Amino acid sequence: MAFLRRILAAAPLLLWAVGGGGGAGLAAQTGHASEYRVKAVFLFNFAQFVDWPADAFPDSTAPFVIGVLGSDPFGELLDETVRGEELRGRPFQVRRYQTVDEIKACHILFIHQPAGDRVGEILSRLRDRPILTVSDDADFADQGGMVRFVNDRNRIRLEINPGAAQAANLTISSKLLRVAEIATPRGRGR
Amino acid sequence: MSLRDWPIKQKLTAMLLLISGLVLLLTSAAFVTYEIVTVRQGTLKDLATLARVIAANSTASLAFANEADAREILSALRAEPHVVAAALYDGNGRQFSRYPADLPREALPATPDRDGYRFEGGYVIVFEPVAEAGNPRLGTLYLQSDMKAVSRTVRLSAAIAGGVMLVALVAAGLLATMLQGRISQPILALADTAAAVSARQDYAARAPKFGADELGALTDAFNQMLDRIAEQRRAVSESREQLQHYAGELEQRVAERTRELEERNEALRHNAAELLAANAELDAFAYSVSHDLRAPLRSIDGFSQVLLEDYAARLDDAGRDSLHRVRAASQRMGMLIDDLLKLARVTRAELHAGIVDLSAMAQDVATELQRSAPERRVEFVIAPGITARGDVRLLRVVLDNLLGNSWKYTAKQPRPRIEFSGHAENGEPVYAVRDNGAGFDMKYVDKLFGVFQRLHAAVDFEGTGVGLATVRRIITRHGGRVWAVGAVDQGATFYFTL
Repeated sequence: MAFLRRILAAAPLLLWAVGGGGGAGLAAQTGHASEYRVKAVFLFNFAQFVDWPADAFPDSTAPFVIGVLGSDPFGELLDETVRGEELRGRPFQVRRYQTVDEIKACHILFIHQPAGDRVGEILSRLRDRPILTVSDDADFADQGGMVRFVNDRNRIRLEINPGAAQAANLTISSKLLRVAEIATPRGRGR
Repeated sequence: MSLRDWPIKQKLTAMLLLISGLVLLLTSAAFVTYEIVTVRQGTLKDLATLARVIAANSTASLAFANEADAREILSALRAEPHVVAAALYDGNGRQFSRYPADLPREALPATPDRDGYRFEGGYVIVFEPVAEAGNPRLGTLYLQSDMKAVSRTVRLSAAIAGGVMLVALVAAGLLATMLQGRISQPILALADTAAAVSARQDYAARAPKFGADELGALTDAFNQMLDRIAEQRRAVSESREQLQHYAGELEQRVAERTRELEERNEALRHNAAELLAANAELDAFAYSVSHDLRAPLRSIDGFSQVLLEDYAARLDDAGRDSLHRVRAASQRMGMLIDDLLKLARVTRAELHAGIVDLSAMAQDVATELQRSAPERRVEFVIAPGITARGDVRLLRVVLDNLLGNSWKYTAKQPRPRIEFSGHAENGEPVYAVRDNGAGFDMKYVDKLFGVFQRLHAAVDFEGTGVGLATVRRIITRHGGRVWAVGAVDQGATFYFTL
């Protein structure tokens, strides 16, 4: 199932690559690919605008881990984006998780259509761990998520819940906050 | 008027103005250049700072593709009117945002150029990398700024420099006009004094002294020179007066002397004329007398001979003796008359000057004398090679007489000796005839050359007393002198020049 999803996710890219991005019938799929290409870059860029506590890394050369929990919409896009990149001497690594328990050392986690667990539960289990949680979910912030991608007329905007990040001991750059909308969680969660 | 003819005042002022003008010009140029460089660097620095700030602020916009935010950040450039255009390029080199927002896409570079700044067509353009510190590059910022700040600064600083130069030049001109007097005034005073001295010959004028510098020393030297000149002029005029006085006296004396001389000359000329006339008369008289006396003398001698030859038997011894004496006396008288005629001829004869070999002539005379009396033994010493310029005929008469005299007055000398020689006295040739004969008493030396003057009795030495007079005539006519030195029984020497 997961494998199939990954195939499906990769398909538009493959199609785009094979077909040269042409054809009206492929427009939606092409749109999907470019959307996730942007999101992959955004995920990669978060590393530059967020400070992690020192204990988030076992040593000074430990890799910077971007994880994907649930079904992977990126295919190879995320791997391509981080390939060969380094940040303050740390290489990037992409890891894919099916369950929260698999998550050990992770710094940015994209949660997408997780199997089984509800997003709220996942977030509560990850609470207070220095992991920047990102998702497309509409009520992500309400559930205690930190960053949400908002599709807005072919653009992707950011919605950030600084409280959650702060609770996880993450420092979000004011520049990042400026280009994002501040989400104020309602109801439960903080 | 060429520069070298300018008055010294203008020269000094012009020099000072030129120097201060040049200094001001160079200073102003340095100031303006410094301003331009500073402003240009400042503009660049400001622009670089601005670029860095904008780039730093744009990182998130580029990282998260927030065009609105990018536009907002770029719109902040409105505060900087010199920035005329700006653009953000994403990591792929695509234009992401522009400033001003309404600027057409084509007005900006399609893709970012290499990083850094450069001047292009009156603008400064900057390409600044956009990245979080130490992080991968997110994109590029482009800024285009005009150079109005620079040109405004150039205008402003040029205006300030111009103003300062103008004020400084005016001040320098005033100062130069005021200060040049320190140097020009003494020189002008000197020049005025010198002009006054040369124009009015007023050596009492003195140049005023303004200070103890070199010009003061010059003034002193000039004034001392004037003192000297005045002194010397005084001395010169005094000596000139004295000189004029002496000259006047001298002229007066010369005039007196000239007058005296003229008077004497006149008297002498008169005397000479009288003498000439008297001499001529005397000569004429002597000639005619001698000539006229011959005929009666010949009759006396002739008739005395007739008496002796035809009437000797009728006469006694005393008568015959008397007739013999008459004959001897008349013959002696004939000789006298001949000599007198000879003397007269010498006086009248014309001079034919030529080179005469006196030595050869003396030798000739000696040979003839020896032939006339072969029994006498006389030693002749004749210096060879003596020549003179004169009339050969008359000089022969001179040597005939002088050598003949010596021959005659050495007759009683056991070892007679006669010399003819020549030597130079004061560059003039002097000829001499010396003998060791009877000589004469020097107190009668004046009478020696007179006509019929004889120092010896005819009994001792025969002669007419005309010879030496003839010699003197001839020598005188040659423009020479003749004199004699001698002593009784010590011989005599006759000298002559020609």
